[in-house]
Amino acid sequence: MPNLPLVVENLSFRYRDRQETAIRNISFEAKPGDVLLIAGASGCGKTTLIRCINGLIPRSYKGEMTGSVRVFGEDTSTWKLAQISQKIGTVLQDPERQILGTKVLNEVAFGLENLGLPREEILERVDEALRLLKIFHLRERETFTLSGGEKQKVALAGVLAMRPSILLLDEPLASLDPASALDALDTARFLADQGMTILMVEHRVEDVLRIQPERVMFMSGGEIRYLGSLSGLSKVVNYREVKLRAEEIVERAKQDPPPAEIRILPGAAGKGESEALVKFEDVAFGYESDVEVLHGINLEIRRGDVIAVLGPNGAGKTTFVKHAIGLLKPKKGRVLVNGRDTREASVAQIASTLGYVFQSPSHMLFAPTVREELSFGPKNLHHSKEQIEQEVKEALRIVNLSDKEQDPPLALSFGQQKRVSIAAILAMQSRILVMDEPTAGQDYQNYMNFMDSILQLPSFEAILFITHDVDLAVIYANRVLIVNDGRLIADGKPQDVLRDFDQLKANRLVPTSLLALNLERFPATGRFMRAEALAHI
Amino acid sequence: MLIPWRYRKRENSFIQSFDPRAWLIFYICFLFSALAFWDMRFLLPFFAGALFVLFTSGVKWHEIRRAFLFIVGFVFFFAVLTFLTGRGGVEHYTEEHLIHRFQASFSILGWVPALDITVERIVYALSQFLRVGSMAIMTILIPYSLNPALYGITFKGLGLNDKFAYAMDLTMRFIPTFARDFQLTVDAQRARGYELEKFSGGLIEQVRKMGPIFVPVVIHAIIGSEDIIDAMDLRAFGIGPRTWIDVLERKRRDRILIRFGVALLVISLALGILGYGGFWVPEAFLQLAGG
Repeated sequence: MPNLPLVVENLSFRYRDRQETAIRNISFEAKPGDVLLIAGASGCGKTTLIRCINGLIPRSYKGEMTGSVRVFGEDTSTWKLAQISQKIGTVLQDPERQILGTKVLNEVAFGLENLGLPREEILERVDEALRLLKIFHLRERETFTLSGGEKQKVALAGVLAMRPSILLLDEPLASLDPASALDALDTARFLADQGMTILMVEHRVEDVLRIQPERVMFMSGGEIRYLGSLSGLSKVVNYREVKLRAEEIVERAKQDPPPAEIRILPGAAGKGESEALVKFEDVAFGYESDVEVLHGINLEIRRGDVIAVLGPNGAGKTTFVKHAIGLLKPKKGRVLVNGRDTREASVAQIASTLGYVFQSPSHMLFAPTVREELSFGPKNLHHSKEQIEQEVKEALRIVNLSDKEQDPPLALSFGQQKRVSIAAILAMQSRILVMDEPTAGQDYQNYMNFMDSILQLPSFEAILFITHDVDLAVIYANRVLIVNDGRLIADGKPQDVLRDFDQLKANRLVPTSLLALNLERFPATGRFMRAEALAHI
Repeated sequence: MLIPWRYRKRENSFIQSFDPRAWLIFYICFLFSALAFWDMRFLLPFFAGALFVLFTSGVKWHEIRRAFLFIVGFVFFFAVLTFLTGRGGVEHYTEEHLIHRFQASFSILGWVPALDITVERIVYALSQFLRVGSMAIMTILIPYSLNPALYGITFKGLGLNDKFAYAMDLTMRFIPTFARDFQLTVDAQRARGYELEKFSGGLIEQVRKMGPIFVPVVIHAIIGSEDIIDAMDLRAFGIGPRTWIDVLERKRRDRILIRFGVALLVISLALGILGYGGFWVPEAFLQLAGG
C-alpha cells in the first residue's frame, strides 16, 4: 500500500486533569483529495482528535496518549510541532482566535517568516495563497476590519501559504453567514480536488453535504460510531442528533409518532397581542461621530412576537439589538422599552424587563459554581431567596444542565458554557428575551431541545434572536427581520420574507431544504413547520 | 483576536515622518533627559517640544480626548496633591516662604489643621506639571502614530531577538484588546442587573463586588493567551531565526533625530551631574511672600 497522507491507528487520549478518556481506539485513513466530514455532538471528542493529529496533543495539551498518527508513512510522535505544521495545516473554529497579524499580508506571511524563508519567496507564496482564495484585494487591509467570512479566508490563506498536504478545519462554518459558509465549503472542495486531504469537523452537516464529502465519520462518546460513505450516514444516525436534509428527515420521521405540538409563548396569549413592548423610532447610531452604522430603524416588538433577525456578518444586527437593552443609546431617534426612553433608564432597570444573552459566554461567567452564576442576575433584581431557588432549577432543566449545578462554569465545554449563559438570563424571568446567536457552536440536538423549551416558557411575552441559521427562523419565528448595512431590509411573516429568494441572496442568505419543502407544502399546511411535523401532513 | 491602537497614516505628521526605531530612541532619550531637571527654565523647552510634537502629529482631538484628559487630569491631581500636602518637594528645598496660611477654627486633639501656601510649593507643583506633562504627551502619541504592523520589526531593529520582538508586538496590542474585553464584560454584567455605580460597603467588600468584572476579564485574557500560543505553535513560531517581511529604512533625517536625542540626553545628564537644572525658585515669586 502506498504511503497515505494520513493514517490514524488505535488512537486514545485522556487529558491529564480528567478521569475519563476523551477519545478511544480511533482508527481511519485519508487519501489525497478526500474530504472527510467529522460530525458528532458537543464533547464527543472531535476537537481532541484534531489536536492529536495536528500535534497540539501531547505537546501543548498534556495527558496519556496511545496509538499512532502517521503522515505519509512516518509516525509524527517524534516530530517537532513546526515539522508537523508544514505537513498539516489547521484552521481553528474561530478565525479570530487564530489571526495574529495586524495586516492581511503579515498574517498570511506569519508561518513562512517563522520558517525563515527568503523574503521574495514569502511574498510570492503569500500572493499565490491570496489569489487561490480570491482575496488578493484584501492584501493591505487591517485584519480587525475584516468580516467573519473574510477572516476565515485569511486564516486559511495563512495556512495554505505553508503548502500543507493535509488540512484540518475545526467547525469552519460556526461563525459564518450562509453565503460565506457556502464560499468556505466551495473552497474546501476546490482544495480537495487539487489533491489536498481535508478533515472537516462540523455541526452543520446538512450544509457540508452540499460538497459531497468522500467519507463521513460520526463520533459519539469519544468513539467512532460510523465511518463510511455519505449515503450510509442517514441510516445509522438518529435524525434528531444530526441535521440531515429535510426530505430525509421526512422519510425517516414517517415511521415515528408525530412530534408534540409546541405552544409558543403561552404567557403572551390573551394579553392583548398588539401592544408594543419595545419601540424603535427612527434610530440612527455610529460608534464614531462621523460614521453611521445604523440608519433610521423603525420597529415595534409586540407581545407574542418571536422574531428571527437574519443578515450577513457585520450587518449591524448586534448593534441594533444592544439598543433594546440600553447598552447603546441612539445618536438620533429613540428607543422605548415599556414606554420608557432607554436614555432615561439604567441598563439594570431595563434588564428586569428585557433579558439579553450575549454572543460570547466567556465575557460573563465568573462564579465558582453554575448555581451561583445563575443566581447572580435574579439577586441583582432583588428576587426572593425562594424565587431564586426555583428560577435556577427551572433554567438548568431547560438547558439540560441540571447535573452540572455544582460545577464551575469556567471548567465546562464551550457549548455548555453557552447554555449556562442562556440559563443565567432565563433565571432572571424577564418578559422579553433577546439572544445573540444562541445556537452558535452548539450541537443540533441540544439547541433544538433548549429552543423548544425556551419558546414554551410562560414568563416570556416576546422573544428575539439573531441567527445565521435560516432553519431556526423557519421553525421558530413568527416574524423575520433582515438587517443589512445597518438598515432594516425586510420585516414580515416568515412565509412572506423567506419566499423572496432574490432578496435572500442579496443579503447573503441561502435557502435550505427545509425552507424549500415548507414553501412547497405551504398551500396545504398554511404555516411553516419542522421536518418531523411535515412528515405527518 | 488582538486589536491594534487607533493608528492611521496621517498627512504631514512630524512624528510619522521618521523611522519608528529612530522615534523610539529619541523618545527614550527625551524621557530620561526631562527626568534630569527640576528647574522650570530647563523644563519649559521640553514641554514646548512635546506640545510641538502634539500639534504637528496630525492626531485629531476627538481621537485622544479621553486618554489625554485622563492623563492630564492624573498629572494635575498629583501636582495639586503634592502642593496641598507639601510632601514630595522636601528633598529639593529646605526653606519655605509663606504667602498665606489657612488655619481651621477648630482643633482635633490639640492639632489645628492648617494649609500653608508657600512659594516653593507653588513652584514645585508647576515644575512637576511641566516635567510629567511633557513626558505624558510624548507617550500618549506613540500608539496613535506608530504603525502596529511594524511593531515587531521595530523592536527587532532596536536589537531585541525575534521572540522578544514579537512578544513586544503582542504586548503593545494586548492593551487595547484588554480594554475592549473589559467593556464587553461590563456590558454583559450590566445586562444582568449589575450596577457598578451602586457600590457600598468597605474597601474589601467593594473589591469583592468587582469579581463579576475582574474574573471574566482575567480568564478571557488567559484563554486568549493560550489561543495565541496555539496559533503561533501551529505555524512554526520560534523554531529558528525568522524572516521579517517588513523592511524599515533609516534615512538621513532619522540619523539626525537619533543624534539629536542622544546629544540631548548626554547634555542633560552632564548638566545634572554638574549641578545645573535643580529646583529653582524665580526671584519674582519670592516677592509674593514679601521678599
